[in-house]
Formats: sequence, C-alpha cells, structure tokens
Amino acid sequence: MSLVNFTSFDFDQLFAMGDDTNPLMMLVWILPIFFFVFYGQRIQLYVTSGEIKKGISKLDGFRNESRDELINYVKNNLKPVDDPVQKIDRFIDYFTIMPVDMDPNGIVDKVRHIVRSREDYTREHVRSISPQMSDIELTKVQTLLEIASSLQMIYKIINHMYLTAKKQNNYPLILPLQMILPFIMEQSEAMKEAIPVFKKGQPVGDGIGPMVVGKMMLKNQKETVAFQTVLVKSEFEGRKLFLLKAEGPGSTVGRPADGLEKIVSENKIDAIIMVDAALKMEGEDSAAVARGFGAAIGGIGTEKFEIEAIATSKNIPIFSIVVKQSVKEAITLMTKEIADKADDVRTQVYEMIQENTTQGQSIAIIGVGNTAGVPQ
Amino acid sequence: MFSKKKITLEYTVEKCSKCGMQRKRKFSQGDVLFAECSKCDSCDGMSFIEKVFGETLEQ
Ligand SMILES: [Zn+2]
Repeated sequence: MSLVNFTSFDFDQLFAMGDDTNPLMMLVWILPIFFFVFYGQRIQLYVTSGEIKKGISKLDGFRNESRDELINYVKNNLKPVDDPVQKIDRFIDYFTIMPVDMDPNGIVDKVRHIVRSREDYTREHVRSISPQMSDIELTKVQTLLEIASSLQMIYKIINHMYLTAKKQNNYPLILPLQMILPFIMEQSEAMKEAIPVFKKGQPVGDGIGPMVVGKMMLKNQKETVAFQTVLVKSEFEGRKLFLLKAEGPGSTVGRPADGLEKIVSENKIDAIIMVDAALKMEGEDSAAVARGFGAAIGGIGTEKFEIEAIATSKNIPIFSIVVKQSVKEAITLMTKEIADKADDVRTQVYEMIQENTTQGQSIAIIGVGNTAGVPQ
Repeated sequence: MFSKKKITLEYTVEKCSKCGMQRKRKFSQGDVLFAECSKCDSCDGMSFIEKVFGETLEQ
C-alpha cells in the first residue's frame, strides 16, 4: 500500500492544459509571454549589468592598487627629488596612437618608431623622478608603470562601453562586453598579481627563454650587441654558437632583432633557434615543451617581422622551442613546473643543433622573453 | 563563494657546481638566477642559484 500514487498524476489537470476554455487561465499563460516579449531584453540587461558592474569595480580596484603600489615603490626605494605623484599620474595616462594602416606598406617601421619613442621618452621621464636610479631599478619602474597604465586603460574602455550601453538602454551593445569580460578579467588579475613579482625582481614564466640561454652564456665573455641586449660567442661540437638574450636581471625584453641583424651582418649564420614561452591552449598542460618552425616571439610584432625579414633575406631556417603556459603564468612568478623544464629545454636546444646543422656551421640562439631576475 | 584562498610560497633552489647537491630554501630579496651564494654543505664547491619559483597552495 502506498499513500501517494506516483504513476497516475494527471498532468493535464495539474497545468490546466486541457482547460482552454477558462479565459482567466488563458490570461495567466499569455500575459507573461507578452511581458517577456517587451521587457525580456530589459530584464536581461539588468541581470547582466549587475555582473558587469562587479567586474568593473574590480577593475577599478586593480588600477588604483597598481597606481598606489607604483607610487609607494618609487617613494620608498628610489629617494625621488620631489613628490612624484603628479608626474606618475601623468605617465599613467599617456596614450599611444598607432599609425594609419590604410596603406600597410612600411607600417612596421612606423609602429616600431612610435613604440620605441614612447619607451625612450618614458625612460627618460622616469629617470628624472630620481636621477641616481640604477638601470635595473629603472626597468622595474618602467614595467610597473606599463602595468599601471594598461590597467587604467582597460578600466576606462570597459567602463565606457558599460556606461554607453546603460545610458542608451542598449542590450545588444552590452553583449560583446559580457563576452569579453572574462578574458579581460583574467588578464587584469594576472597583471595585478605581476606587480609584487616585478618589484622583487623575480623571474616570471615568460623568462624561461632567457633562463635557458642565460645558463648557456655563463662563464663566457659578454658583449652588448643592441640596446639592453647581450651576445655571447661560444662553441658546441665544432659549431659556432651566437647566444643572444636581453640583458638581465633588469625587467626588459631587449631588442633581439637588432642583435640578430648585427650578428648576421658580421657572420654567416646557418640556422636560428628561438626559445620562448608560448600561450597554452585551454586543456593543454602547463609547462609542456613543443618544437616547431618559424620565429617564436610575441609582442606587437615588429621584432618578429624584423627577424623573419633577416632570415628570409639570408635564407636562414628558423627553429623554435616553446614552453606552454597561461597568460597568468607568463607574467607572474615562474612556477615550479616551468622552472623544472629549463634543463630539459636546454638539452633539446643542443639536440636541435645536432640534428639540423653540421660541424663548422654557425647558429644564432635567441632566448626570448622578459629577463627580470635572469642575468647571464 | 567556494573559492579557497590561494597563497604562493616563493623558493630559491641552490645547486653546488661541483657535486650537484641541491638545496631548496625560502626566497630572499635580491636572489637572482645563477648568482653565487654560499659554500656547499657537503664539499668545498660553491653553490649557485639554479631556480627561483613559486608554489601555490590552496588554504
Ligand atoms: Zn658540493
């Protein structure tokens, strides 16, 4: 015996579906449909904008935090000549206008010119905050400034998109915002977490390339071959090696393309091997090592362009070894998994040399990435 | 709501250039890779900083 018989519910009766003669029931069913047809978008707008608002206030927190961290760092560590707050605030708001790309011919040179002059001028302005600052400290402050101004820019753009959508009650406008927000938040959180790492001068995940090549450089004569870029000439099994990396332990990526150009102009190079960090795909293992062809180098693309142009004009093959990692891993303190791969990658570089070149040939090996905490 | 607080512990690994002995210790300010740091515990070789890395723990 059972108290409730589960098998014989009358669904028609329960939802009054059979009862289509009752006008009141019809109203109960039809009204919400009209309501959602006319107000559905607006309801969705309210729900979504709540989420976005949370994200924006987080972004606001990040930009303020990064600004304060930068100001505190300058005040506490660098003995500025006068109060640096105003100056720093001005730097954070600096903008960069990319050149016109309607006629793409020569655009790489233009982009490089604009980006480099931005770097050069901010470097000089940062130096003016505290003239006796060491070059390593200078690269640190420059990186912190770069983070603070990126977070500021992100906050402004996202906030602008949100406020515009809200002002115009424009749901379609808020959709792309809702879609990109998770990616933006991931990047911004990573940037925020990168601040203490750069302050302490620790290596980041992106530093794996310089870490591998830097160790190969040890106990050799170093020379500066381009701005913030060092070269070491060494040998391996009858081959000449030209090792290239940004100058550590400052936080810089150097100018590997300029370095390579100098090497190629003075020597006959038979192969280029690049070691870099690469963004992993979702689902891929962190710190997985992969080999391939082509120039492994990130950034805005000017260095990559130049390296490819040099290689093409001299008909030099480019091989690459990359260590996969997430955005966050790339710019925050190097994880154990990535650090543990350094020896393996170095072995693979030597393997690559043996497999792809013969005795008497010359190979340029470039460790690409930020050299914070990674000298040579 | 359910996310645990994450903390990153910073470590430095020293490696003896002579006998290869490795020693893991807490990161201290100023540690950079490949820097000479101390006499090896088990031989008369010098140890160098081999790695600096972080390990993230969930609390
Ligand atoms: Zn020893």
